Amino acid sequence: MLLGYSPKARKNREWLALLALKLVAYVALIILALMIFYIVFHGFKAINFDFLTKFPSDFMRKGGILPAILGTLYLAAGSMVVSLPLGFGAAIYLTDYAKPGPLVSIIRLGVANLAAVPSVVFGLFGLALFVVGFGFGRSLLSGCLTLGLLTLPTVTAAAEEALRQTPQSFREAALALGANRWQAIRQVVLPAALPGMLTGAILALGRAAGETAPIILTAAAAFSPALPDSLFNEVMSLPTHIFNMATNGAFIEQTRVRQFGTALVLMALVLGLSLVAIVIRAKLIRRRKW
Amino acid sequence: MVKPPAISARSVSFYYGEFQALRDINLEIAKDEITALIGPSGCGKSTFLKLLNRMNDFVPGARLSGEIIIGGVNVYGPQADPVEIRRKVGMVFQKPNPFPKSIYDNICYGPRLVGVKKKSALDEVVEKALKAAALWDDVKDKLNKSAFELSGGQQQRVCIARALALEPDILLMDEPTSALDPIATAKVEEWIKQSKLSIVIVTHNMQQAARISHGTAFFYMGELIEFAPTLTLFTSPKESRTENYITGRFG
Ligand SMILES: Nc1ncnc2c1ncn2[C@@H]1O[C@H](COP(=O)(O)OP(=O)(O)OP(=O)(O)O)[C@@H](O)[C@H]1O
Ligand SMILES: [Mg+2]
Repeated sequence: MLLGYSPKARKNREWLALLALKLVAYVALIILALMIFYIVFHGFKAINFDFLTKFPSDFMRKGGILPAILGTLYLAAGSMVVSLPLGFGAAIYLTDYAKPGPLVSIIRLGVANLAAVPSVVFGLFGLALFVVGFGFGRSLLSGCLTLGLLTLPTVTAAAEEALRQTPQSFREAALALGANRWQAIRQVVLPAALPGMLTGAILALGRAAGETAPIILTAAAAFSPALPDSLFNEVMSLPTHIFNMATNGAFIEQTRVRQFGTALVLMALVLGLSLVAIVIRAKLIRRRKW
Repeated sequence: MVKPPAISARSVSFYYGEFQALRDINLEIAKDEITALIGPSGCGKSTFLKLLNRMNDFVPGARLSGEIIIGGVNVYGPQADPVEIRRKVGMVFQKPNPFPKSIYDNICYGPRLVGVKKKSALDEVVEKALKAAALWDDVKDKLNKSAFELSGGQQQRVCIARALALEPDILLMDEPTSALDPIATAKVEEWIKQSKLSIVIVTHNMQQAARISHGTAFFYMGELIEFAPTLTLFTSPKESRTENYITGRFG
């Protein structure tokens, strides 16, 4: 044996390391499965047609969660309306127009740090700026704008990464054929980068749908008797509905099943949204071969 | 009667920021002929080539002095329109770079930019360009397939066809066969030789320059050392630096 080197011992160590890695991966999977199982197990009893299509009644003990479902959909969609154009625009500027230099580095650093800001801080910011400052009140509009800002860093960073990964040679080829810069980006670079950019949007959408604190501060109604008919209405949402049922009121215990039912719907919604986006992305990626 | 040159470069110097990449280049490129640019890596061949269709416009901090005359107009003059120039002066790059689109859409990209919309007109352009690039028979049944499904040599000929679709007067080629195998290289060379265009081709392959070009220019450290008919340059170079390079003593 040379210098204590033993192929067998090395094999064993390798095997151990592999096992450890596998275990960690499985633990993560098992925790996820347990959580899903727990929520489904406690929540499915609440799920029925009325639960999905009716307004809550009798202090949340009866009726359904329709306004919360719709509210969450509105908020998620609205936040994308805010963050996709801003985020994609910023990403295109940073990758394709801005001259590399300190300013661009600072912007990029700012975007990265923005992603690490706790969501309640965004909530307070939204409260100060949109709710009070612009006088939008606690409303769908304020909520969408706040969530839009909250998701902006994710959207921007993912879009930038996707644009950066698009070969420079595509841009060169288009320019050499007489395209101007914007044509090259719109007709060649963007279609190629879109799958990657959508990934960021998927993550952001899931985050927007699940956020609680910013919505409580800027948009949420504990209960609203009608669906919002304007951007200036308060809205209910799934996460805040869970929060309210679980922390307020006289019937916390009696609504437990509905809390889990609502959580189940929220989870299904987020997973469903991701699924749709993943399918779109997979379709786009199949066309890509570079 | 002597034809006017396709391109004349007059005292062209070019800088990337502080770094001078080209020094006082004077060069007349003959019309309807093939001109090869050779020289060691980093000597400025690609830089010079990109100047001819203003592809260096996008490099921040780049600066040019001198004139490049194409078709009687200084392409860096105040009235020159870079987009117009790039349509007249096509370019094929070192690595095949088709767009992630169908073969058909690749070829149509340029014509569509200038507003050709009619299907019948586009069909005609595609057929003509692919035939000109000697690719029509290979791909006529799969025009709607992604260009990425073709071999490297076919991809490069798609790129040639894409450039030809704009019916350029001049074609610039930057080491167009360096990413290709010998058979694909032969096909591209064959195409170059039979084409009736004015072609400027950068190559590291001396045999290639000898095989296909009428005139050869030897660049060294940003300077044009010698420019002569290809046969003359390779058999009796005037400059010792040229001789050293073509006999492989440096480079
Ligand atoms: N965008 C750029 N910014 C700064 N310097 C550059 C840039 N492009 C090229 N250069 C420099 O200019 C010089 C000439 O480069 P060029 O690409 O023209 O060489 P080349 O002759 O084509 O070489 P090769 O045979 O390796 O392709 C090199 O020293 C290179 O480092
Ligand atoms: Mg080069």
